[in-house]
Amino acid sequence: MSKATSIWEKLGFRKASGVSEAGWGQTLFAGIISLIYFLPVLLIIITSFKLQTEALSIPPKFMPTNLFGLIPDAYVFSPTLENYTSVFSRAMTSGGVAENTGFDRYFFNSIMIASVSVLLALVIGTLAAFGFSRYPLKGNDTYLFVILTTRMLPAIVVIIPIILMFRVTGLSGSYLGIIMLYTAFNLPFTIWMMKSFFDELSLDVEDAARLDGSSGLKVFFKICLPQVLAGLAATFVFGLILTWNEFLFALLLTGIDTRTVPVAMSQAVAGGGIGVLWGLLAAIETLFLIPVFFVTFFLQDHLLRGVTFGTVKR
Amino acid sequence: MSEGLKYALRLNGISKSYDTVRALAGLSFDVIEGRFFALFGPSSVGKTTALRTITGLVKPDSGRVEINGNDVTDAPITGRGVSMVFQSFALYPHLTVYENFAYPLREEKIGREEIDKRVKETATMLKLSHRLERKPNTLSGGEQQRVALGRSLIRRPKILLLDEPLTNLDAKLRHDMRAELKRLHRQFGMTIVYATPDELEALSMGEEIAVMRDGAVVQRGTPDELYENPVDMYVAGKIGSPHMNMIKAKTGSDKTVFETSLGKIISKAKIKSAESGEAAMLGIRPSDIRFAAQGEVGIKSTIQMLEPLGDVTVVSVDTGSETLRMVVPESAATMIKPGQATSIYLDHKKFHIFRASSGQVMT
Repeated sequence: MSKATSIWEKLGFRKASGVSEAGWGQTLFAGIISLIYFLPVLLIIITSFKLQTEALSIPPKFMPTNLFGLIPDAYVFSPTLENYTSVFSRAMTSGGVAENTGFDRYFFNSIMIASVSVLLALVIGTLAAFGFSRYPLKGNDTYLFVILTTRMLPAIVVIIPIILMFRVTGLSGSYLGIIMLYTAFNLPFTIWMMKSFFDELSLDVEDAARLDGSSGLKVFFKICLPQVLAGLAATFVFGLILTWNEFLFALLLTGIDTRTVPVAMSQAVAGGGIGVLWGLLAAIETLFLIPVFFVTFFLQDHLLRGVTFGTVKR
Repeated sequence: MSEGLKYALRLNGISKSYDTVRALAGLSFDVIEGRFFALFGPSSVGKTTALRTITGLVKPDSGRVEINGNDVTDAPITGRGVSMVFQSFALYPHLTVYENFAYPLREEKIGREEIDKRVKETATMLKLSHRLERKPNTLSGGEQQRVALGRSLIRRPKILLLDEPLTNLDAKLRHDMRAELKRLHRQFGMTIVYATPDELEALSMGEEIAVMRDGAVVQRGTPDELYENPVDMYVAGKIGSPHMNMIKAKTGSDKTVFETSLGKIISKAKIKSAESGEAAMLGIRPSDIRFAAQGEVGIKSTIQMLEPLGDVTVVSVDTGSETLRMVVPESAATMIKPGQATSIYLDHKKFHIFRASSGQVMT
């Protein structure tokens, strides 16, 4: 293969074979549209490198460099990492040793709670989906519908009974409680997604495996599951993003030790009585973006195949 | 076990229904060891269900399945010594060709070296050695077919079931694969049950053919037997191409003469079971009709249409009351054109006589 590969292709962005690339005009148009969508994220990332005064200045300072004098100084700020250090430690106004803000812990909580609950939902949901797909109950669709109804109510409506249940069982503020809740929260979506993937598979292939001597469990693990890997990846990413950003349940059901980043973020910003610390907030948000960004990036091949599964006749 | 022949497979009165649909209705047949047995019938006649019953994937509602003399009706799938090639090929899409071949052997806990040896042997035999590292969806239809075949053969089954294996291939490949399958059968000598809706495949490959209708066998026999002595109009209509001509007739009083719109037709023997005056259908193969020779008394008719097939031509003629199809050598067809008047001769000895009410052959 002597064909030149662009940097993007090396990074994993591939175009489908037999498809010709769009012209410059179309690419530019798509670029502008993308920029409009991406602008808020971009502003957050830029702001995270600004001091409070620069963050609030009008006109906005949006360039970290004057590009050898091309950009007027009014629009240029001097980038700093101060916000990032103050995410994790806070200098005391009275002097002395800097105080830990606890954000290292909150990040750990977010990562741990989200990944454990999404993985749990994936394991339970995939098994359930396989059952619904291959061994339908009488009134199968009714069960599936009932499962989905649990997601029809807004969180705020169901939060009160859940708080009471958590208080009675002593789950409030515990990892176990919030992980169980998020697992249940992710299950309906996981079951529906995975069932649709299993429904797409050819039953003949499974029968062939049975004839080749495989038991039911082996058919599931060696034949069915590998065929829906793309689906698993897609379901994992969607579940992860939902759980990662969840705020309300986390606010009301986690304790000081089990607090997740969205909750901590809201509290870090509100506190202090000196207005919103935009730079700090942006720094937290930027850090908060990174884990999901990387998971999505590494699974993107699967993700695309996952969401387009079944729409193309094989 | 008569005449020292061993039955590899016996199905006795198999019935199977899905909800309200009756797939098999008392299906019975047996296959002698080493035979190439064709199960022939149009789609949704129960062929696939019959094969799946033999594998154990389908449990029959009633009836008995015997393999090598053992009752396996309720036995598990494994240990039957049966493998099957699916119409859809059913290759493992996430595994390479090598792993597709190796899968059944791994399930049998065969050692790694032995697996490697047998996979390579099979690949060589099926000319797939250069495709071993590919995934099935990157192969051509014919290659996928051979992978499916190889995966079934690698276990060295006693009985190989083929469910319309050539339906998804193009015409040229089908022809090649027919020869290939026959060669494999000769080489391995296993019993083959071959389900097909294609008459040509059944006749050219089956040493014995069972014609199915509505979940049961209507007639079984060698290709010649089915062609020469169809038991009813259904079989007569299915076997032989172009299809048999059917002429309405009335039984005469002496039961040898039949009155038709083409005049009297005399059967080769007295039809004892017929009642005088009973309605009958007379079948005659297109190859048993020819143009009348000079001086011969023929039936006046008009040429309607010519279908040249290379060495022979199918000619449709209109006798005024019936449209008949006949097969003539290409040399005889060069002179004629549609619309031309001609005279045809029907060989009275070649008529098949069926009861009009039931479609059964009359003797």
